[in-house]
Amino acid sequence: MEYPEIDRYASLKSPIHQFDPRAKIISFSILIFFVVFVNELDIAVINLFFSFILIFISKLPIKFVLNRIKWVLLFVLPFLIIMPFTAGGSELMTIDGIKMTYEGLVLGMLIVLRATSAVMLILTMLATMRFDTTIKALYMLNVPGLLIQMLMFTYRYIFVFLDEFLRMWRAMGSKGFKLKANMYALSMLGNVVGMLIVKSYERADRVYQSMISKGYTGNPKTMVKFNMVAKDYAIAFLLISIAILPYISKVVL
Amino acid sequence: MTQEAISIRSLNYSYPDGTKALEDVTIKVESGEKVVIIGPNGAGKTTLFLHLNGTIRSLEDNVNVFGKNIGRMATEERIKEVGIVFQDPDDQLFMPTIFDDVAFGPINMGLDEGEVERRVKKALATVGLLGYEDRVPHHMSYGQKKKAALASVLSMEPRILVLDEPTANLDPRSRVDFIRVINDLNKKEGITIVIAMHDVNALPELSDRVYVLNRRVVAEGSPRKIFSDISLLKENNLEAPEVFNLFKVLRCFGYNCDDLPLSMYEAVDVLTKTIEDGNGHIHLHIHEHTHEEVKKIMYSYNHH
Ligand SMILES: Nc1ncnc2c1ncn2[C@@H]1O[C@H](COP(=O)(O)OP(=O)(O)OP(=O)(O)O)[C@@H](O)[C@H]1O
Ligand SMILES: [Mg+2]
Repeated sequence: MEYPEIDRYASLKSPIHQFDPRAKIISFSILIFFVVFVNELDIAVINLFFSFILIFISKLPIKFVLNRIKWVLLFVLPFLIIMPFTAGGSELMTIDGIKMTYEGLVLGMLIVLRATSAVMLILTMLATMRFDTTIKALYMLNVPGLLIQMLMFTYRYIFVFLDEFLRMWRAMGSKGFKLKANMYALSMLGNVVGMLIVKSYERADRVYQSMISKGYTGNPKTMVKFNMVAKDYAIAFLLISIAILPYISKVVL
Repeated sequence: MTQEAISIRSLNYSYPDGTKALEDVTIKVESGEKVVIIGPNGAGKTTLFLHLNGTIRSLEDNVNVFGKNIGRMATEERIKEVGIVFQDPDDQLFMPTIFDDVAFGPINMGLDEGEVERRVKKALATVGLLGYEDRVPHHMSYGQKKKAALASVLSMEPRILVLDEPTANLDPRSRVDFIRVINDLNKKEGITIVIAMHDVNALPELSDRVYVLNRRVVAEGSPRKIFSDISLLKENNLEAPEVFNLFKVLRCFGYNCDDLPLSMYEAVDVLTKTIEDGNGHIHLHIHEHTHEEVKKIMYSYNHH
């Protein structure tokens, strides 16, 4: 079984992998913020280019990156076609009496560029450290405990859950069940989902019991040792400057 | 002077849906003892254990650990006394890495970082998982997860260790490792051990005394006493260790010994002794009733 692990390539060595987790989260968050709110097409193109460079520096395999991005593209590419026909503005051309606008086209392109760059940045951030490190870094950054615990348990039990699903699926397969588009197959699928919900509910109960038996009182504490060095401050400063630079240059020029 | 580690007096428990799980259960475990609880599926073993860590609190004052009511103990105090290792390791390794899991208890106890690290190291060394600190549980085998779950309880250094099905689903090597670790903890560190299990072949090595639980306590005594009672075994879906049965059959072939061995170790001792007493020989033969007697024994162990 191939797990959908986001941190499969976390053990590679690159400047981005070695960047302090907390500094990475902060500077990438700022980068993503600026990338998402960009309104000029030329800057959006530069941002996309910059995201590519970061992925290149991080040495993440292209196939891995494309595999994650393709779903996002599938979702946002239609905007490139929809927006020109729906947004108001100056006419670009008319097809069969339907007006295509210049503003719509720009808007569509902006949406695609923003989304792609943002997803690439998120991917670069998450895929270059182990997920447990991400969680601990968030913990160190004083993200609310409830949120951390939700992330932590999701990360821990998604694999257990997947295994459970696969076991049931195989058991059904070995008893001759085939997924077809009929009522029977659908109702069986419903049963499996139902069983999974009951099972995870019961598991949650047992996990809670074992947490209680280890003295859990509401907030999990972990021990983390991160070490910010001058290099980390320098990279963070560089990344944040690159995010802000286009805006400053717009204002100054 | 021996001290009572666990004392449970006439404990009753029904689940909210009405299932009566425990009825008038009285169990006493001395400090330093190894006690095994056996009984069929659904006998209430796991339910009983949930009383020992305060998950289920008895309303009466009848579950005591080292003389103190467990239901009224403060959390930090309770986890120093009793550590429970449940059946499914996936339920107990809930943190992102093995280090975090093993450190979870000690951190909750309020220990300082140095002490937490020392305990994690020691617990992992005990179960043979040093070097696995940074592993994530979903990259480990079932047996390794089982060991890690034990380490996550050992790091709290409890005086009583309670284990639910410790040997289930382990390969032979891991099973032997696990039995050795448990016995070492009992012998070297004086930790009181309480185990629930179905693995009767491993039982003799792990127990000084046995309770047979089937909602109520149906029998109590040494492993030999329990396994000699055939009707007790049949009524509770249990069986005797293979070695014990084999020697019963040998007895029909004229093998002479007083105490039938329960484990391989005992078997070797018994055989050595008989051979030495018989001037280097062992005498077996078939007489007119042998086949009949063997058949009877085979039949009495056949539950089908
Ligand atoms: N959460 C629950 N709600 C209702 N009934 C339960 C619950 N958990 C267990 N039971 C019932 O209580 C009884 C005792 O269950 P328990 O799990 O203690 O048995 P066990 O001796 O541990 O069995 P096994 O050997 O199969 O692990 C069973 O009849 C079981 O169906
Ligand atoms: Mg059980």
